[in-house]
Amino acid sequence: MFTDYRPNKGYDEYFSAGEQPRSALKPLLSSLGALGLDQLNRNHAAAGMLLKRLGATFRLNDSGGRVGERILPFDPLPRLISSGEWQRLERGLTQRLEAIDLFLADIYGDQSILRDGVIPRDDVESSQGWRPQLQGFTPPLGKWCQISGLDLVRDGQGTWRVLEDNLRCPSGVAYFLENRRVMKRMFPSLFSGRTVQPIDSYPSQLLQTLRDLAPWTDSPRVALLTPGVFNSAYFEHSYLAQQMGIPLVEGRDLACEDGRVWMRTTRGLEAVDVIYRRIDDDFLDPSVFRSDSMLGVRGLMEVYAQGRVAIANAPGTGIADDKLIYAYVPEMVRYYLGEEPIIENVPTYLCARPDDQAYVLAHLNELVVKAVSEAGGYGMLIGPHASEVEILEFAEKIQANPRNYIAQPTLELSTVPSLSEGELYPCHVDLRPYVLRGKQAWVTPGGLTRVALKRGSLVVNSSQGGGCKDTWIVEETPC
Amino acid sequence: MLSRVADSLYWINRYVERAENISRFAEVSEAMALDCPPGSAEPWQPLIDASGDRALFDALYPGGGPDQVVEFLVRSEGNPSSIVNCIAMARENARQIRDVITTEMWEQINGLYLTLLESEGFWDQPPQEQLREIRRGCQLFYGITDATLSRDLSWHFGRLGRLIERADKTTRILDVKYFLLLPSPEEVGGVLDELQWISLLRSAGAYQMFRQSELGVISPKAVATFLLLDPVFPRSVRYCLDRIHDTLQVIAGRSVPGAPEELECLVGLTLARWSYTKIDALIADGLHEAIDALQRDLNNLHALIHTRYFVLPGSVNPEDNPGAPAAQASVSVSATSHDLACAPA
Repeated sequence: MFTDYRPNKGYDEYFSAGEQPRSALKPLLSSLGALGLDQLNRNHAAAGMLLKRLGATFRLNDSGGRVGERILPFDPLPRLISSGEWQRLERGLTQRLEAIDLFLADIYGDQSILRDGVIPRDDVESSQGWRPQLQGFTPPLGKWCQISGLDLVRDGQGTWRVLEDNLRCPSGVAYFLENRRVMKRMFPSLFSGRTVQPIDSYPSQLLQTLRDLAPWTDSPRVALLTPGVFNSAYFEHSYLAQQMGIPLVEGRDLACEDGRVWMRTTRGLEAVDVIYRRIDDDFLDPSVFRSDSMLGVRGLMEVYAQGRVAIANAPGTGIADDKLIYAYVPEMVRYYLGEEPIIENVPTYLCARPDDQAYVLAHLNELVVKAVSEAGGYGMLIGPHASEVEILEFAEKIQANPRNYIAQPTLELSTVPSLSEGELYPCHVDLRPYVLRGKQAWVTPGGLTRVALKRGSLVVNSSQGGGCKDTWIVEETPC
Repeated sequence: MLSRVADSLYWINRYVERAENISRFAEVSEAMALDCPPGSAEPWQPLIDASGDRALFDALYPGGGPDQVVEFLVRSEGNPSSIVNCIAMARENARQIRDVITTEMWEQINGLYLTLLESEGFWDQPPQEQLREIRRGCQLFYGITDATLSRDLSWHFGRLGRLIERADKTTRILDVKYFLLLPSPEEVGGVLDELQWISLLRSAGAYQMFRQSELGVISPKAVATFLLLDPVFPRSVRYCLDRIHDTLQVIAGRSVPGAPEELECLVGLTLARWSYTKIDALIADGLHEAIDALQRDLNNLHALIHTRYFVLPGSVNPEDNPGAPAAQASVSVSATSHDLACAPA
């Protein structure tokens, strides 16, 4: 089956440089061989139909009409990570979030990291994610990031690195869970003879994490706040609410009165203790943030400030999503924890620094340039794939607003064989594990592997033609 | 239960019931049309009157014939009550409350929607097969609902929507067909075309149960009695009103009626009016007038349920606040479309 498969020059996760299968992969490769490419393609099409029937779709536009929904393309070849390697990554993720959490508590509190000059004050206060309204505030349990989904990549040597911290409302976990169900249903033979770490406990872990946030009651009422049915991640919102058995609410379902948050029900108002919000800070409360928001709840922040409702993730975490702040995370790990980071960043040039800026401008054709507050693969320049004109445009943008840009070397992301036009092709991948932090920290075994299904593309985002794969954490097999 | 969720549950069921009824009318008419002389508009035109959409049909398809009637009822995008639109709206409402309904309910309504919208072969089947599949898809949705959903408020609000829609559709089909088949009241009990009456019963899904009932022999009066007053046939007006009454009591959470409020009065009086009456009295006072009054009562009932349970005091609708700038707000599609589709009379 893999006779025509030629790995890229970078790191292929199935085959080593000598085109020999990696040892942990051998049982899977023989199951795949037994299945055959034709059957793989047939089951792949059936899996797509299944996802559609389950409604695992996102909306492309806000037409609300009869069209415009599609599934996140699903690739059937799983990606394997050995459990030993995974344990190290788990420790690294927990460490990183611990440091980020201390950073958030610090900048909204004493600001010692700014006073000690580890991070320039201006870099924090000029960030779009900075919420000065929250200064002096301590969230429940003293923690800010309860639910995070960091993006990890492996570079050309196979070294794991953190590409981005997503601390506001990282999405994709529903696809992570559904992909496993679809794999088991459509490709049961691939599981035979090995143990893949189960992932089904995510909804229970998430619910426990959220319940932990309301120490004032034994039976906290938790609700998931969604922008509504037109949001592209709506499937995930309803899926998670269903899996946890909690109400899915929109801003218009909630009201703040008498110092509490209430849901409007057919039997009058019912109190809410914890809100798992899937809307950005800006829209949470029109009386504090954006006054034109119709998605939020007027008065919510006042109740929150009095400690009578918990919000996860805490408002204000967006500052750490700023890609300029990302560059300082290894410093935070050293500063707050006195440890070396277990997972390194991707080397990052800050255009706000004159030396870095000069280097970036001179090497635009080699680098990836990103706008610090954009996500989803928007607002970026991939130097090696860009035209002369695009490069000149970006040079102007950087000079006009250097604070707004960072640059990184173009990584040769690791590849995993994937179905592309009916054949196996080495496609680039990244990984988004989800980390829950209530009273205890918990990392999903594996995460959502996103794959750039367009041949040669380095962009895995669903908005740019990316898909996803199941990720297996497996025991090391001696051979 | 969230008011918004109750609203959606109610409407999912109304839309599915509506689609099922329309598919049944159309299925029966397809079969009857094959017995009619070529080119005759009968039995199609009454379907438009039965659904109360005459003006809309004439606007969309001026001078339209049988093919246009089917198009209008089944697939038309311009008719908010066409089967495809009903299923799309039911599915859209289901999508909004997927966390409340069971996965199996969602898969059924979403699967039916995908079949109508995207399945390659579906519309190539003979018309009666299409309609049968739609009808069965709707019935399967009720079956799955009844087999998987807890008997809490979700189920009761759903059932409420289903019953109100059903009562409305049964009266409409009777009203139109009855007066079409009987151009003047004197003909009650006169000579009749039995085939036409059988088709009327079939349209209401009532033929077999009518035959098994004590009424047995087909006469206009017996058919009207069965569809309006039968105590045990699940599509009769009286049966539906009875269950609407029960359901509203469960929802209100009171076993003993206290000082009745408007909604309780209306449902109690309507139920009494259709339980304690004889068909002769109804015919003597004008059957058409009685059915008209019932349809008004059903519309009022809907309005009262809406105010009581679906919008609570203090709700802020974006529409109430025209001065506010538009954000990327989630606009309730359902709200406006409901109103469009609600009272076609």
